[in-house]
Amino acid sequence: MDATTVLAEINGNIATVGYGLAAIGPAIGVGIVVGKTIEGVARQPELAGRLQVLMWIGIAFTEALAFIGIATYFIFV
Amino acid sequence: MTDARPESADRTPTSNPVLRRALTLGGIVAAVLFVVTAVLGFVFAGGEGLAGALVGTAMAVVFMGITAASILIANRFASSDLFVGAFFGIVLGGWLLKFIVFIVLVVLLRDAAWLDTTVLFLSLVAGVIASLVVDVIVITTSRMPHVSDVELPPAPTDD
Repeated sequence: MDATTVLAEINGNIATVGYGLAAIGPAIGVGIVVGKTIEGVARQPELAGRLQVLMWIGIAFTEALAFIGIATYFIFV
Repeated sequence: MTDARPESADRTPTSNPVLRRALTLGGIVAAVLFVVTAVLGFVFAGGEGLAGALVGTAMAVVFMGITAASILIANRFASSDLFVGAFFGIVLGGWLLKFIVFIVLVVLLRDAAWLDTTVLFLSLVAGVIASLVVDVIVITTSRMPHVSDVELPPAPTDD
């Protein structure tokens, strides 16, 4: 069975792939944000409070994309 | 090894007031947004639009607020020796849980006949953007110390 036949066999809603993609981006984004925060706190523990705020705004922006991406389930058939 | 840091009461991170202010301001903006989206939803899609607008705005506000709330909850363990582990466990665990609940809600509400899904989606996007605007305003107007607010031990006396 060649690749074209396999691709032709895939059925179901192609939008499902989009929801998967909507999860990958924020996962990587939050991973980087949190990892860098840990790095920063390890270097300067006394700045933990300030770094927490920056981490929070970073997570907020990253998850905003995830929410919108996953919520497209409502409008795409 | 003795711990050079001050007593537990002083170890609370300086981020608490900023996050608390963000939640308060977010609540006020959410109340305004509820009214605006509900009116628009009712005008364009009737009763289903009203329900969709309320649910969509509530989802956006609650799910965006959970991050700040989870950091505030995690900061209660600031005096614990396991603080770093507990902090990231609570914040990231809360994040994971939030998305599972969000996906389940989306799947359940998709086929609900009592709300308009298009209005719900638009209200959700409006709520997310409003929440981000509030976060940015709070951050830019917050006064965070650049250096630690840890109090230094008292100066030695000669007597």
